[in-house]
Amino acid sequence: MQGIGNGKCQICYNIGAMNDGNTLLGPKGQRQSPSTGDCAVRIEGVVREFGSVKAVDGLSLALAPGEIMGFLGTNGAGKTTTIKMIIGLLRPSAGKVSVFGGDPSDPAVRARVGYMPEVATYYPYLNARELLAFYGGICGLDAKLVKARTDELLESVGLSEAARRPLKTYSKGMLQRAGIAQALLNDPDLLVLDEPFTGLDPLARIHFRELLRSLREKGKAVFFSSHELGETELLCDRVAIMKHGHCVYQGAVKDLAGDGGSNLERLFLKTLEEAK
Amino acid sequence: MKTAFRQFKALVKLSFLELWRRNDIFALVLLGLALMVPLSMASPFGADGASRYLDEAALLLVWGFSLFIALGSGQRLLAPEFEARTIYPLLAKPISRGRLLFGKYLGALAASWSALAFFYVLFVGSVLLRGGAFAAELPQALALHFAFIALAVAVSLLGSLLMSASANCALSSIVLVGMFFFGRRLPEYADGLNPALAWLVKAVYAIAPHAEFFDMRQRLVHGWGAVGWPVFAAVLCYALVYIAVLLGLASLALRRRRL
Repeated sequence: MQGIGNGKCQICYNIGAMNDGNTLLGPKGQRQSPSTGDCAVRIEGVVREFGSVKAVDGLSLALAPGEIMGFLGTNGAGKTTTIKMIIGLLRPSAGKVSVFGGDPSDPAVRARVGYMPEVATYYPYLNARELLAFYGGICGLDAKLVKARTDELLESVGLSEAARRPLKTYSKGMLQRAGIAQALLNDPDLLVLDEPFTGLDPLARIHFRELLRSLREKGKAVFFSSHELGETELLCDRVAIMKHGHCVYQGAVKDLAGDGGSNLERLFLKTLEEAK
Repeated sequence: MKTAFRQFKALVKLSFLELWRRNDIFALVLLGLALMVPLSMASPFGADGASRYLDEAALLLVWGFSLFIALGSGQRLLAPEFEARTIYPLLAKPISRGRLLFGKYLGALAASWSALAFFYVLFVGSVLLRGGAFAAELPQALALHFAFIALAVAVSLLGSLLMSASANCALSSIVLVGMFFFGRRLPEYADGLNPALAWLVKAVYAIAPHAEFFDMRQRLVHGWGAVGWPVFAAVLCYALVYIAVLLGLASLALRRRRL
């Protein structure tokens, strides 16, 4: 298996080379002790408990700059909990999550992160332009910069014409596009997306896919959860599959075709079946 | 510092946009018209005593309406963010929970103070047009009322993080209105109770926000003069400390809240 990403981060490469998903392994399969690296995201033996329930149990993974990673799993597998830990909304019960080497709850780290939630109605009485101006202010960005970014982003997500309509008149797909725009507002180095394809029409999906690829070309890291296996296979460099809080598979998407010609859907079903 | 200013500015602007877009402004105008009813009745009666009585009624309405708006603003600060899940993208931005809470508080405060200023413009304007006059007690009365509204927003904000919207509105109203009307009588009421109940009433007296400290309606209407500046400063300090404690508790509640 080859290293993925821009090759700067050995840890990311190492984790890319493992396939049980829960242990840091070296290129030859030996256990790897954690060391510093310039991973966009690094998760080491993370456990997150809610009372007696372990939503995430012993997860380790890493994401390099310039890499797109798909995070798959059934409902309740621990994907959203993991995402919340990456963006600093939740703290792990055990283990460590770092983003660009720092604490994800640190505002300085979050300034480099863009996040789009799975479901958000945003503020129904604002229009898209006002929404982005508000989030720009929250990011502490200069108003002129926000205005310029707003024009650019509304154009790229196809909301220019509807920019002055209240968000309460938007369809689900349009709200999703507004969500994408707000996530990209601060020109993040890491984009974390929870079910980003939900509600997008086929054309918007194609545009969004192109947008994410262009971000990868610029060296940005993208981490997203999805149930859309087809989109994930088309877009991702690597995938991780979660089941009941455990990561049951991590691997490069381009290796899937060579693996007996299986596609991601077959791999997904096979992995979940084997994980029983 | 610049970042904090931009963040607070964005949050305050959001509060005003909400006030405007959710048509709350019409409610404000309607309340203002309701306030004008007793004030406009003052002239036909002519008698000084009746005018004062109506002024007092109008001021009571100003207190009631402004409290209603303050509690509503406080309630709407964070609870809807959780319901609509907008709290997630918001907290994923480079803003600490403490700063978000304080910015939201400032937004609600600015909106509530604007409403209060609107009511006082109507009240003071009407009285002056009628040939009435206010002496030195007016600035003090205004300052204490504005401080009380700041306290009410903080009470409602903390309540919104601890209980449902309806429970918060009911409890905050009962505590603040109850203390406003009956706060000063609680100690003598406690004296007539059995020791356990007396202890409870005294505990409520010690802990609950003393809305009655801020009430200068009688002095304003009857011209009884301003309170001493040390007393005035002490009440303002009480408000500041109480607000700081409430915001500290709200910050703790927000940190501990499961997302």
